[in-house]
Amino acid sequence: MAATDLGMVEEGRSRSSFPARRGAVRKWLAPSESGLKRAHFRGAGLAAALISPQLIILLFFFFVPSWKALSLAFVQIDPFGGKAMFVGMQNFIELFTSETYRYSAWLTFWFTLAQNVLTLVIAGALAFATDHVIRGRYGYRTVILLPYAIAPVVSGTIWAFLFNPSVGPIATWLQSMGYPWDPNLRTTDAVILITLASVWKHVCYDYIFLTAAMLAVPQSLREAAAIDGARPWRRFATVSVPLIMPTVFYLFIMNFVYGLFETFGIIDSVTRGGPAGSTTTLVYKVYQDGFVNLNLGSSAAQSIVLMVLAILFTVLQFRAIERKVNYEV
Amino acid sequence: MIRFRKSTLAAVSMFAVMAMPAWAQAKTSIEWWYANGGRIEEGIQKIIADFNKSQDDYEVVGIRKGNYEETFAAMIAAYRVGKHPTIIQSSERTFLTMIDSNAIVPVSELMTKYDYSIDWDNFVKPVADYYLEGDRPAAMPFNSSTAIFWYNADHFKAAGFDAPGETWDEVEKQLYAIKDQGVAKCGMVLDSDFYWSLIEGYASINDYPFGTKGNGFEGLDTEYVYNKTPVVKQVERLKRWIDDGIIQLAGQGLSPKQLYTSGTCSTIVTSTAAHAEVETNAKFDWSATYMPHETDVSPRNSNIGGAALWVLKGKSEAESAAAAAFLNHVAKPETQAYWAEWTGYVPVTNAAYEKMKSDGFFEKHPTREIAILQLTRGEPTVNSRGFRFGNSNQSSAILVEELQAVWTGKKTPQEALDSAVARGNQVLRQYEALNGGN
Repeated sequence: MAATDLGMVEEGRSRSSFPARRGAVRKWLAPSESGLKRAHFRGAGLAAALISPQLIILLFFFFVPSWKALSLAFVQIDPFGGKAMFVGMQNFIELFTSETYRYSAWLTFWFTLAQNVLTLVIAGALAFATDHVIRGRYGYRTVILLPYAIAPVVSGTIWAFLFNPSVGPIATWLQSMGYPWDPNLRTTDAVILITLASVWKHVCYDYIFLTAAMLAVPQSLREAAAIDGARPWRRFATVSVPLIMPTVFYLFIMNFVYGLFETFGIIDSVTRGGPAGSTTTLVYKVYQDGFVNLNLGSSAAQSIVLMVLAILFTVLQFRAIERKVNYEV
Repeated sequence: MIRFRKSTLAAVSMFAVMAMPAWAQAKTSIEWWYANGGRIEEGIQKIIADFNKSQDDYEVVGIRKGNYEETFAAMIAAYRVGKHPTIIQSSERTFLTMIDSNAIVPVSELMTKYDYSIDWDNFVKPVADYYLEGDRPAAMPFNSSTAIFWYNADHFKAAGFDAPGETWDEVEKQLYAIKDQGVAKCGMVLDSDFYWSLIEGYASINDYPFGTKGNGFEGLDTEYVYNKTPVVKQVERLKRWIDDGIIQLAGQGLSPKQLYTSGTCSTIVTSTAAHAEVETNAKFDWSATYMPHETDVSPRNSNIGGAALWVLKGKSEAESAAAAAFLNHVAKPETQAYWAEWTGYVPVTNAAYEKMKSDGFFEKHPTREIAILQLTRGEPTVNSRGFRFGNSNQSSAILVEELQAVWTGKKTPQEALDSAVARGNQVLRQYEALNGGN
């Protein structure tokens, strides 16, 4: 984080010397200066030395792979790397004209959003309830944290089994309730299944952060509200929630990253992207096309699209939502 | 740039080998990456252990890298950085990709170079022919299989049938009867590689073309044509069975074979290699027979499955010699007979087949012979001798995706197959553009 902080200080300073009159979009995109430290380095040498470890890590884990992906995105290449043919934008054109790719993008959008909101709501409710669980609070927390300790493939397999239409106990129960549950034949069921499994896996992460944030809410404020006659829910909604908004904002981004990139293991073990590609998210498609189908050019083009998307969303989120969150509690 | 990097790597690895101290060369160790699990894997490790015990010069280390696709992907990733194994087991559908990869040493060349005489004519014909490049074997057939029709004899008896019918129409009536009489919950479970058995295999047995240019044997400019053949009818039939609850899909979290071996579904069309699993797990009167065919055709040989052993380039003399020695061990009739008896794969040499016959193995285990009889049935035609399509993994994945769209009701069989053919042809054209020049 140090490098980012320092970078933003310099940027902030240079920006502040400009006249205040700027285009609306520019202003909207300009970094917020609130909450930043005013200290900065005078000479560039020490600063460069201090940020170099971070930069080296970035170089090897971000810039080099990105460069490799970029160089592959414009070629057709045989998997063994012996023959390559420059094809220009053809990989991208094929992607954007492909119906399956458009479906995958659409699915990813809704899946990520639903997963994000559901996780926050459930984790929020559980964190809120923590305060009100008197007996067995320790056990309560442990149970909620457990899913995080289970490998995605293992939990995915368990979900797949529980909801397997021919042998799964939960599937059998659903069918006996009159719901024709079958994620092999009904695409909606498959999408519901991966969403639930992903939410279940990530609730504990949000729960830890939200519980900590709620604990940090000053007791005095809540007591004051209680004296004024606010019921628990009211106290939560009007006192705690505004104070935990920075955490919620942080989690919103982390959930987004999780949904977009880290649900791979769950999808691979629960549905394998099927039936008929109905649960193939963008990341899963990169894997399928690259590592199973060995269509490296298309796979590289897809990861470029994903990278651009991720950068775009992160910038937008930070710039747009940050302004509505009060960090200076 | 790529060529430069490869040659540099080769130079570096050569140097590394030469720089090794003499004691390290006392025993040359090579890796073999394979893709089978369970009892089949035990067989593989037994073959390796026997080889390592039999001599002091070489040591083979067998490593399982996942299923066929995962092993193949791992091998390619390793090859690109020069850390590939010496021997790789790769499935039959990767044949053309391997040939065009420029990354392999044809096994016949390798064996000749190290003075092992392998009687290639002794290999069972449809299996050996599949792995021919021109007239020389490019890979050593290892675990070869074909799909057969497995059934629960108890269920058939309970529904009043002696055995499954020979044609799809007869089988259809029987499976509906089994379901209607409440003998079993489902007539058939669809295995995950059904595209290989029930689509490609169906085209082979019934002598329908799958692609132009002799299914790809006569040129890279081949195109898929299975959307214009009775394969459409086959997909319609499967769809009808799924809708009527005759076919059960296993889905994730459960192996399809479990639904057969547990007695839940009465039949399964799957590889003869399932013997390893069925013999261990099925607690009922199980049996198997030939794949059904259409009423108006005389059935041909079925398509082969399984995998072969390939030797990769970029290895030292000693390592290549070790690979040759090991393959020579694999090709021995005793090894072949052990392997076929342990797993259920077909014996790939006539010598091993004869040995098993004279040992009376097939009298004790009649279902073990079905696969090889079905593979050698009749004179192979242009349509039944096999498939040679580039990037076949990719078009198979497309076919499965489109067929699932039929199962889920999003597309009609004709629409789905039209789309699968169009997308598959795109894959073939890409492959042709990249590999057509050599």
